[in-house]
Amino acid sequence: MQRWSQILLAALFLLSFGFAQPPAPAALFLASAASEAKPASKALDVRLPLANKSVRFAVIGDSGTGGHEQFQVADQMERYRQRVNFDFVIMLGDNIYGGHRPSDYRHKFEEPYHALLDAGVNFYASLGNHDDPNGERLYKPFHMGGQRYYSFKKGDIEFFALDSNYMDPTQLNWIGQSLQQSRAKWKISFFHHPLYSNGRMHGPDLDLRSQLTPLFRQYGVNVVFSGHEHVYERLKPEDSVAYFILGASGKLETHDFRPSDQMEKGFDSDRVFMIVEVTADHLYFQTISAHGQTIDAGDMARQEQPDAAAKNQK
Amino acid sequence: MRALKIPLLLLQLMLLVTASPASISSQTNTGNEKDAQLIKDFQDLVNKYLKFRKNEVGSSPRPTNSPDKIADTQQQLAAKLQHKRKDANQGDIFKPEIAAYFRRQIAATLATTHGKKIRASLKHAEPVHGMALHVNQVYPQGVPLQSTPPTLLLNLPPLPKELEYRIVGHNLVLYDSVPDVVVDFIPDAIPSETN
Repeated sequence: MQRWSQILLAALFLLSFGFAQPPAPAALFLASAASEAKPASKALDVRLPLANKSVRFAVIGDSGTGGHEQFQVADQMERYRQRVNFDFVIMLGDNIYGGHRPSDYRHKFEEPYHALLDAGVNFYASLGNHDDPNGERLYKPFHMGGQRYYSFKKGDIEFFALDSNYMDPTQLNWIGQSLQQSRAKWKISFFHHPLYSNGRMHGPDLDLRSQLTPLFRQYGVNVVFSGHEHVYERLKPEDSVAYFILGASGKLETHDFRPSDQMEKGFDSDRVFMIVEVTADHLYFQTISAHGQTIDAGDMARQEQPDAAAKNQK
Repeated sequence: MRALKIPLLLLQLMLLVTASPASISSQTNTGNEKDAQLIKDFQDLVNKYLKFRKNEVGSSPRPTNSPDKIADTQQQLAAKLQHKRKDANQGDIFKPEIAAYFRRQIAATLATTHGKKIRASLKHAEPVHGMALHVNQVYPQGVPLQSTPPTLLLNLPPLPKELEYRIVGHNLVLYDSVPDVVVDFIPDAIPSETN
């Protein structure tokens, strides 16, 4: 009897310290949530149609900090790549911040994106004001072919990467002629400095806008991607051209927006990247945060530019 | 009414043409033989420099996968150029009369209707202040590039490929992108807004 009472007392003692307590509902929920999160690809929220023969790519801007957040974004990109199968990334400038020693190329580009690079994903860079044009244009993984500005084709799309740091008459002539000669269904241009922006930090580059928008309108550019402003912004189309700002794949400027009715969607509270899918007549986009939340998504029909349409009728 | 419309359209077209940025230089240069000669002198000096750099130092390297190779080549090109041009001084290319022409041209461009946009663009471009400039210096790593407004570039004498105008604070720099070196510069070429 004394022995039984000793066992009972010991059991009560243990219970009082919580050793023998049954699991609380919250703990079960966390365990359940953790076990569900393991197969990451199943939990992904993919808003793209993943159609046959479509072109799929990702977009990053102002990425090259080498900081923890850049790695977070890169990890999310790899998770989405496994499901979405994008095979190239366009870079909107400020690809490598600060110094440009060999170690900077490694720590601010090769290491964060090593999973993507290992999977054969190609990166196409444009130059920002924090980049070293002389070094980066020669760096083969940026696919610039030794040039400050260049174009390349993927399926029905022709991409035009510009150097908005130095838009001299030679480059203006080049972009005008290249757009005019392009027979691509989709014309997408990307460069660092935004032509339209509601960010407080920089705002739009009005002089650059005055030189480029007439060409975009005349030769039927469909979409323009820019960085520089450390936020995500989707603007209302101007002259049928869709403008996106994505300058927060490494840097971030919180509370950076001015109120504006030009803005369709603005997001400035986390780092982001974008995935894009283009079919013959539609472009689908999804913008995803460093923590895996979809913060914007949508689609647009391929627009025939007014000036280009008039030209085709002649 | 229709007869009136056509001359009105023509007038609007003429106004557009005369107000276009490209016409600023032709307007200010037309009939100005002295300015035309200064531009020619400047371009001769620039071409002479470029020929010298290509012959004595080398041309643009080929793309590579190796950041080490890029850095090594850049350092070698810059060091070789600095050695070969060790006696170069500020004003060798931007000689006083040429620098005066550039200052006039920049001030005239800023005084047009495009001046406000150009000023806004300069402010937008993360101006670099307090950077001491020297001929032959390598553009310092980590210092952001201040973008050069396109309308301003349309009104300056064109440069051969590989050479660029850069703005650093209020200074106009002639920059060689291959060895990443300052070739020459004009101090205070960009007048401040109050001037």
